[in-house]
Amino acid sequence: MRGLRKYLTPFAPDQSGAVSVLFELGGIVVICDAGGCTGNICGFDEPRWRTQRSAVFSAGLRDMDAILGRDDKLVDELADAASKIDANFAAIVGTPVPSVIGTDYRALRRMSERRASLPTITVDTTGMELYDVGASKAYSAIFDRFATECLPVDSGHVGVLGANPLDLSCIPPASWSLSFDDVVRASAAEKNLVVAPSGLATAKLLRERFGTPYEFLRAEECPQILLLRAPGRPPVAGARVLVVQQQVMANALRDELLAVGAESVTCATWFMLEDELAQPGDVRLREEDDFEELVYGGGFDVLVGDPTLWRIVPRFEGATIDVPQFAVSGSLFSIGGER
Amino acid sequence: MTYAARFFEAAELAERGIDNLPDELVSNRHLIYSSPATLAFNSPGAEGFGVKRAGLAIPGSVMLLVAPGCCGRNTSLVSDMPAYRDRFFYLNMDETDIVTGRHLRKIPKAVEEVVGCLKTRPSLVMICITCVDALLGTDMERVCRRAEERVGLPVRPCYMYALTREGRRPPMVHVRQSLYSLLDARPKRASSVNVLGFFAPLVDDCELYDYLRGIGVKAIREVSRCADFDEFQHMAEANFNLVLHPEARFAAADLQERLAIPSIELTRLYQLDRIRRQYQALGQVLGVTFDDEVDYAAAEAAIESFRDLMPAASFAVGECLNADPFELAVALTRYGFGVREVFGTIQSENFVFVRRLAELSPHTRVYSNMEPTMIHYDAHDCPVRIALGKDACWYHPEAIGLAWNSDVQPYGYAGVCRLFEALAAAVSQGEIADATDPTRDQEDGRADA
Repeated sequence: MRGLRKYLTPFAPDQSGAVSVLFELGGIVVICDAGGCTGNICGFDEPRWRTQRSAVFSAGLRDMDAILGRDDKLVDELADAASKIDANFAAIVGTPVPSVIGTDYRALRRMSERRASLPTITVDTTGMELYDVGASKAYSAIFDRFATECLPVDSGHVGVLGANPLDLSCIPPASWSLSFDDVVRASAAEKNLVVAPSGLATAKLLRERFGTPYEFLRAEECPQILLLRAPGRPPVAGARVLVVQQQVMANALRDELLAVGAESVTCATWFMLEDELAQPGDVRLREEDDFEELVYGGGFDVLVGDPTLWRIVPRFEGATIDVPQFAVSGSLFSIGGER
Repeated sequence: MTYAARFFEAAELAERGIDNLPDELVSNRHLIYSSPATLAFNSPGAEGFGVKRAGLAIPGSVMLLVAPGCCGRNTSLVSDMPAYRDRFFYLNMDETDIVTGRHLRKIPKAVEEVVGCLKTRPSLVMICITCVDALLGTDMERVCRRAEERVGLPVRPCYMYALTREGRRPPMVHVRQSLYSLLDARPKRASSVNVLGFFAPLVDDCELYDYLRGIGVKAIREVSRCADFDEFQHMAEANFNLVLHPEARFAAADLQERLAIPSIELTRLYQLDRIRRQYQALGQVLGVTFDDEVDYAAAEAAIESFRDLMPAASFAVGECLNADPFELAVALTRYGFGVREVFGTIQSENFVFVRRLAELSPHTRVYSNMEPTMIHYDAHDCPVRIALGKDACWYHPEAIGLAWNSDVQPYGYAGVCRLFEALAAAVSQGEIADATDPTRDQEDGRADA
């Protein structure tokens, strides 16, 4: 049945993706929810939350706030917080509640900027899309707003897009993490490295605005390659392999698998499937049933992906290689360990 | 500009009164800081016994969460626990569902598929819905009846409506009503009593069990100790209900009206004299006298033993723990310890303890976990030796920490014993350079014991 999950918990939603992008940028992030969404985001989808303080707030909406559309109350509270916290900007992130009541984000942004005297962006996430959609919206919103000045190109400086814990399934290395200064100075990059589809729209925006070229993550730069090279992993020479990951990483894994002799590699993703990154036969998965049909009907010898997926296909007789995907299971990548 | 976490001293709050609290301490007057404490208190499904775990309190039950994907995202924190494996299922809603309401038509079929894929037929299917359906005004009772007809099993709604958290019937109240609505009328047994309020049992050696057995009660039932659905149904036989948590008040009222089971409400306390008075009051209602001398003495001894170990301990008391933080702060102060900070939510029910704290320790700082300036909180501004409560432990990583938030519930004299034994163990395990607390000298308003 469409939408029914019998084995997997729901994947990271768009609002988590948006907050993941904004988390380290030094802004005031207001999740426009009643509290539960913030609990999910901070308590589950944001592994940095327990070790780094970030001004992520819940709007704390109550039923009458939603019914009466009390945007002015939210704006007053945001202005109050802005007077007590040093912030570069404010961001209002949507959830199912504003989606249902039809919140006018543009009006909310204008009101917030006027009252809080703080540049404000809004991200119209709904809680019903997947994390990469929200991350893409947040990247686009923040770069579109703040990457406006055309600076001299800094030779050797590479911008990195799509490097957040949900896309990488690990805490981004320092050289890949995004700061507000990186956003403002985006035009100084010699090129941009796109490590996940969530960063692609912004890479195109920056190419259009400043002429900055972009390229995708290569196999040797992909942290998850270590899992394919770990001792004891099943042999892949001559094997037909299915890789399930976010698309850029899946392609990097594919390159590695083909390099070590895999007969064929099909990439599948539960998330964005960009034409620019896809090869013939690559698959966008939506339901558990899709995965079941693909595995049982695909003639694969080896499956590579998050281990929680194997529950869906107990009759698969080939080998599996575990590559945790945080946005699927909430398990962080590490060699020999999980969350 | 220098920023700092905003706090108010107990004396100031007592002077202001419950109707004139500062905006910083009233959660619907500011944004909600997503501190660790906020997750437990502001998110009905986030931690501890939220709606999701509570909804599965009935043995053999399963849950279908019908909601946007974001609402079920963190469920693997629960579903990975052995007791909840293969008990959570999801029907993800999309925007078309919201516009057309078609998800409601899919629910009976989805319930059938879920029941069909299980090796063991469940005792009950809980349908959990969230804020979206609160706004849509969904009549889930009707949908559940249709699902019941389809699978021949009880199907009940539970409402994870974070939007109604401060309403008259917040989610944790409603989920209790939903669970106990499953009880069917049975002949009464005078020797049968229910303990309502928690989703995990009281500590095994709680004196309340002995007191009840001492007056002839043979069956003391708690939902968490029921082995199966049939045993749960025996709760309908009870002569009376003891309500130990105010969130079970409405469920008890339902049982009074529907099954004619009266109830008596008790409070969890850590002040020995108040525990004694409460048992005396319970005895008066039941027409008996409880002999609590031994239990009282044991609790006193546990306190004394801890006092010997750390006579001038200073505490920060949080709200992510099995206590009302203000009542616990009063108790600690009365036992002669210092309470420098309380992280808590002031409500009309616990304001009496704020007043008492103001008398005993007027300079105790009161913070709201949820207030935005808590992002600036710096433990060095107010060092303590012991952090009590999961949230206080987070704020004071350098202090000796005791989360005191286990599922199993401390209660009564046994609860006091367990608390001070746990504190003594925590202190023994911690590095104690000096049993005398240097911060204690700064303390004002030291308690009368």
